[in-house]
Amino acid sequence: MGEKLFMQGNEALAESAIRAGCKFYCGYPITPSSEIAEYYAKRMPEENGVFIQAETEVAAFNMIAGATATGNRAMTATSGPGFSLGVEAMSFMAAAGLPAVIVDVMRPGPADGDILAAQGDYFQVVKGGGHGDYNTIVLAPFSVQEMADLTPQAFELAEKYRNPVVIVSDGMLAKMMESVELPEKIEQKKNFDWTLTGAKGRKHNVITTCATGPEQWEQFNLELQKKFNTIAANEQRWEAYQIEDADFIIVAFGSVARIALSTIKKARENGLKVGMIRPITLWPFPKKAFAELKDKDFLVVELNAGQMVEDVKLAVPDKERVFFYGRLGGVTPTPDELFNKIRELYAKNNQ
Amino acid sequence: MKHEVIFSGIGGQGVILAGKLLCTAAAKEGYTVTLAPAYGQEKRGGRTSCQVVISDEIGSPVISEADLILVFDEKSLEDYENKVKKDGYLLINSSMINIEPKRTDIKVVKIPLNDVANEIGNARTANMVALGCIIEITKVVRIQSLENAVLSRVPKGTEELNKRALYEGIQLIKQGKGSIRYEIC
Amino acid sequence: MKVIYERPKILTDAYFKYCGGCGHGLVNKIIAEILEEEKLQEKTVIVWPIGCSVYADKYFNVDSICALHGRAPAVATGIKRNLPNDNLVIVYQGDGDLVSEGMAEIIHSAIRGEKFTVIFINNAIYGMTGGQMAPTTLLGQKTTTSPYGRKEEESGAPVNMAELIANIKGCYYSERVAVNSPRNILATKRAIKKAFNYQLEGKGLCFIEVLSQCPTGWGMKPLKTLEHVEREMLKVYPLGVFKSPEVKNQ
Repeated sequence: MGEKLFMQGNEALAESAIRAGCKFYCGYPITPSSEIAEYYAKRMPEENGVFIQAETEVAAFNMIAGATATGNRAMTATSGPGFSLGVEAMSFMAAAGLPAVIVDVMRPGPADGDILAAQGDYFQVVKGGGHGDYNTIVLAPFSVQEMADLTPQAFELAEKYRNPVVIVSDGMLAKMMESVELPEKIEQKKNFDWTLTGAKGRKHNVITTCATGPEQWEQFNLELQKKFNTIAANEQRWEAYQIEDADFIIVAFGSVARIALSTIKKARENGLKVGMIRPITLWPFPKKAFAELKDKDFLVVELNAGQMVEDVKLAVPDKERVFFYGRLGGVTPTPDELFNKIRELYAKNNQ
Repeated sequence: MKHEVIFSGIGGQGVILAGKLLCTAAAKEGYTVTLAPAYGQEKRGGRTSCQVVISDEIGSPVISEADLILVFDEKSLEDYENKVKKDGYLLINSSMINIEPKRTDIKVVKIPLNDVANEIGNARTANMVALGCIIEITKVVRIQSLENAVLSRVPKGTEELNKRALYEGIQLIKQGKGSIRYEIC
Repeated sequence: MKVIYERPKILTDAYFKYCGGCGHGLVNKIIAEILEEEKLQEKTVIVWPIGCSVYADKYFNVDSICALHGRAPAVATGIKRNLPNDNLVIVYQGDGDLVSEGMAEIIHSAIRGEKFTVIFINNAIYGMTGGQMAPTTLLGQKTTTSPYGRKEEESGAPVNMAELIANIKGCYYSERVAVNSPRNILATKRAIKKAFNYQLEGKGLCFIEVLSQCPTGWGMKPLKTLEHVEREMLKVYPLGVFKSPEVKNQ
């Protein structure tokens, strides 16, 4: 059992990445992610690593593509507007098989928006945003501890499947400070046969996403689909809280799930049987968690106008029993606010 | 066990630092601790505030109603008076706040934090006085833990000054004595 | 019989897809010759662009990556900064890739003084996509998107990249060459070899702009294109060294 520190979300994530052996960071400063860049800028000379403040997110997302092509671990962090600039490179890295880790610290949109907590990037991060048929694993921590735990796993998953992995946090989780036990420091194990390091004593490697005709390109796509299907079958993750006897199940991720924990407690104290399913992978969406849940009502709570709710409706046996509550603009609901909403739904149901 | 505290004031008063020190002490004692930015009117006028949750288990970083709210300036009082739990504490910095709270179902504690800090010799220790008051009122962590946290964080050479301010705040609440006017009701 | 010339073994058996008379073929071969003569095959990583040379990864027995349009300098930054210093990283780009889509990436790579070699093929047109106007297209030149000839008041004047990059502190060496005559081809080979050596010595960004022929895009027969480079392109894009450690007061 290691020492517990009291640390900010962004900094804990950055330190965990460094301990996972990621010694290459590039990015463009954007609130609320900038502490990650600043932390790396300070730490990289100590670790003999590389920090580059890239000129744009477009450049940063392509720099990590190049870095991971050599087999080294690489990360960039940004927020919604920056991720939008990077989606072309997301499509590229998924197709080219480059295992970079991308952090999206979500903030309210659309367009420039504000800098507080939001979850309006669900569509662009989970559904893709870049062109063509591709997917990327998306991890959604809900505490500083989970950020520290999931970051090393993000690199491992990326390398296991040769696919980029996105970690989504938000303007509250990023700035929040919590007690955290950081992961052990490790050296990256490099055992790759596909990387670009100079073809010494081996056949040369080529990484390309340029098609040479429809038959070849369909075959290439079918191989990609196999990769994504394997991930979808094996990497769904979620956490369930008191769902067995629950009438109402809250579905929430990230900071909303934290708020909901207090709501569940209050609801149970008031005799309402409420539980929660918290997706930890937003892609692959944890359909397995919902498939057998008949006779339950669902309240999906998000900091957006309704994005994950669509995937919940697809996953549950009866989509008519899925309700939605959202806040926009960076406003976060209080636990009492959610409790009142649940009480309202209970009353409606019992009419 | 769960304690929810909100700190609110103007930038430069060390309000957030006070919150961080309380959290550091609580984390060292093994509690599950969260400090999150508080959102409200304070986006304007250079105001800062934070919400602190000290608990046995993980929960919401967003507070519905707090056990204690520290308000340094009048705008903070206006914004946060209604967020105090029934029978909870509103700790008012009477050096900067002259308006009266409207609620009658909460415990109001008025301490002239800036004046006490000036008496000690450094106006910037007002946040430490406040911290002392808070720890004596809530007893959420051991005084020694808080003292350790303070000493590990303050600039070199100011340790004694800050320690004095901390204990001054504790004493003011403990003894109810002193030539400086205060009230506990 | 004595062998006085051989196709570089570093090239694969694949046929070059370039049009007859295209400058890409000449430059690809020059690069291959240098890599073979200097025994750099095992240390080299090439970053190819989107453009007529998009399939060049198939022609070289060398670690290669085909980057997104314009992004080659950013990708190369990630590669060069993660490999030992004795690796050679080559960035190869055309007009659309470097001057249009990737203007920010090349400028900032020069600003940062990234230690890779950029070979910029300037044929004053977008070849692969069917002959549209490029920022390097000459005034009055007819392309599919400047059917009446490029007009300065509508689309500005052609941009001189070798000079532009030379003016950035992080650029160590910048030269413009051509491949429209045997003498110019030899000078191109000397320039690229020099640039590779600077990289292996750990110097900053080296930029070699190569004026190239495009018979298909220009609607000219190959011999005519050689004249066109000599008579028209050299007027706008003079050959020469624009930044060099050997010349003071540049």
